Amino acid sequence: MTAAADSAPAPSAAVSVGRASMVFNAGRVNEVAALTDIELDIQPRDFVSLIGPSGCGKSTLLRLIANLLTPTSGEVFVNGKPAAQARLDQDYGMAFQQSGLFEWRSVRKNIELPLELKGWAKQRRADRANEMLELVQLPEFGDHRPWELSGGMQQRIAIARALAAHPPLLLMDEPFGALDEMTREHMQAELLRICAAAETTVVFVTHSIPEAVYLSNRVVVMSPRPGRITDVIDVDLGGERDEDTREDDAFYATITQVREALRGAEHDSGQPVRGVDDR
Amino acid sequence: MSTAAMNAMRVVRATWPPILFGLAFLGTWELIVVLYDIKTFLLPAPSAILSALADNVGSVWDAVRVTGTNALVGLLLGTVVGVALSFALMRFRVLNELVTPLAVALNAIPIIIVVPVLNNMFSTTSQVGRRLMVLLIVLFIVLVNVAKGLRQVSATHVELMRSYAATPWEILVKIRIPNAVPYLFTALRIAAPLAVITAFVAEYFGGTQDGLGSRITSNAANSRNDVMWAYVIGACVLGLTFYLLAILIENAAGRHQGRTRSTTTTGTTATATPAAPTGVAAHS
Repeated sequence: MTAAADSAPAPSAAVSVGRASMVFNAGRVNEVAALTDIELDIQPRDFVSLIGPSGCGKSTLLRLIANLLTPTSGEVFVNGKPAAQARLDQDYGMAFQQSGLFEWRSVRKNIELPLELKGWAKQRRADRANEMLELVQLPEFGDHRPWELSGGMQQRIAIARALAAHPPLLLMDEPFGALDEMTREHMQAELLRICAAAETTVVFVTHSIPEAVYLSNRVVVMSPRPGRITDVIDVDLGGERDEDTREDDAFYATITQVREALRGAEHDSGQPVRGVDDR
Repeated sequence: MSTAAMNAMRVVRATWPPILFGLAFLGTWELIVVLYDIKTFLLPAPSAILSALADNVGSVWDAVRVTGTNALVGLLLGTVVGVALSFALMRFRVLNELVTPLAVALNAIPIIIVVPVLNNMFSTTSQVGRRLMVLLIVLFIVLVNVAKGLRQVSATHVELMRSYAATPWEILVKIRIPNAVPYLFTALRIAAPLAVITAFVAEYFGGTQDGLGSRITSNAANSRNDVMWAYVIGACVLGLTFYLLAILIENAAGRHQGRTRSTTTTGTTATATPAAPTGVAAHS
């Protein structure tokens, strides 16, 4: 075990991962080293994407931050607290590839669920649900059932639910992976607007290079076997990001930079890069 | 044309062919019995059955009440015990591993054969053995389905609840139970007609002679076929009533719950699901 003093988090960090490793099925024949010696600091208001081929451990890293998994060694701090405490305090919201809406609850009741679990009073929950519906620009759909909404709308409700308690951190695991390209680009722009309005730090797992570059101010490039961080690329596209950004030279230059970083990771591990989306 | 009128048209168009076919069938039956002068103890004509029913309507109704009460008591108690047991199975893994294979095996054998054993355990005038039989049949259907509904919740839902730091109790109340509700109604739709059949067949194995099954066997033994058929009509009405009630309850719950899912684990045909949601909005 690493001494706590070694990896004490910077007090200002939103997320601080210190020499974290994750081994599944340790000591058995099917032992898998999913993550090795991960060091990562994320500042408040950062938008950080984790990108890499299938099996590089990017979803595992996200679940370590969420304390849905506990690292085999090393430490994870969220908001300056141990990740376990941050989870109990609901310091983050989470969204997945499946929207994970509860079909027996109305859209409004879905958004209220984390607030119910926090023990909020009814009126306060209703007010916050209305506020979140406004934020994701679906105010007229509060009393609909989730399955009456399109895939993109369901994802927006899932984001509204994740942000309902106003957590400072949003963790997203390929939230737009199941959407078509047009909806996906629309959702990316929406996400940037929502997170700017809510002043949220975001950790975003994706396998799409353009998605990572468009959204992030830092792209963390990972490689498999064992999962580790091979590169961290700062994205500077200057000013507001909008639809024109996608035509921008700097956008393409950064995409190329990320792609080459991924190829470099491939070269290092001797494994072909699979499952990374070049579109 | 108004929506109501169009709906009525659709119902009429869907129902007249089977009704017409049924009437034609009864007419042919009547005709054959009259033309060939078939004796009542072989095959009574529909008109003879109807008049037997009119003559015996009081005692048919009494028999329907006796068998119907047995079926209803067994159905309700079996559901309560089945739901309670499925909660226990979900809570205690050991119990689950002990009981589930047993429940599945018992579901596969013709458990109705234990009726004489149950009858021997209680006095000859008691209905308890029959009700226990219905309870057993219903119990396993409810147990297998509801346990499945409690256990098979989506992985994303469980991760979400853990990210909210939800307790196991909160996960039970907010996810597992709502998830299991449609499974319970599917189980009831399968179990309700089976409860009637079981209550009915259980009377074939002796005991008091006041139910539909006993009346049918005794009238058949005396070659009073027209009266026997009158009791068969009573049995049909009873079975249909139970099935209809189960469907009505399931549909009412389905409307409350939203979309119903296909949760059938036994091979019974699905009923009409509530109308598909209208006004599916496109993403803006």
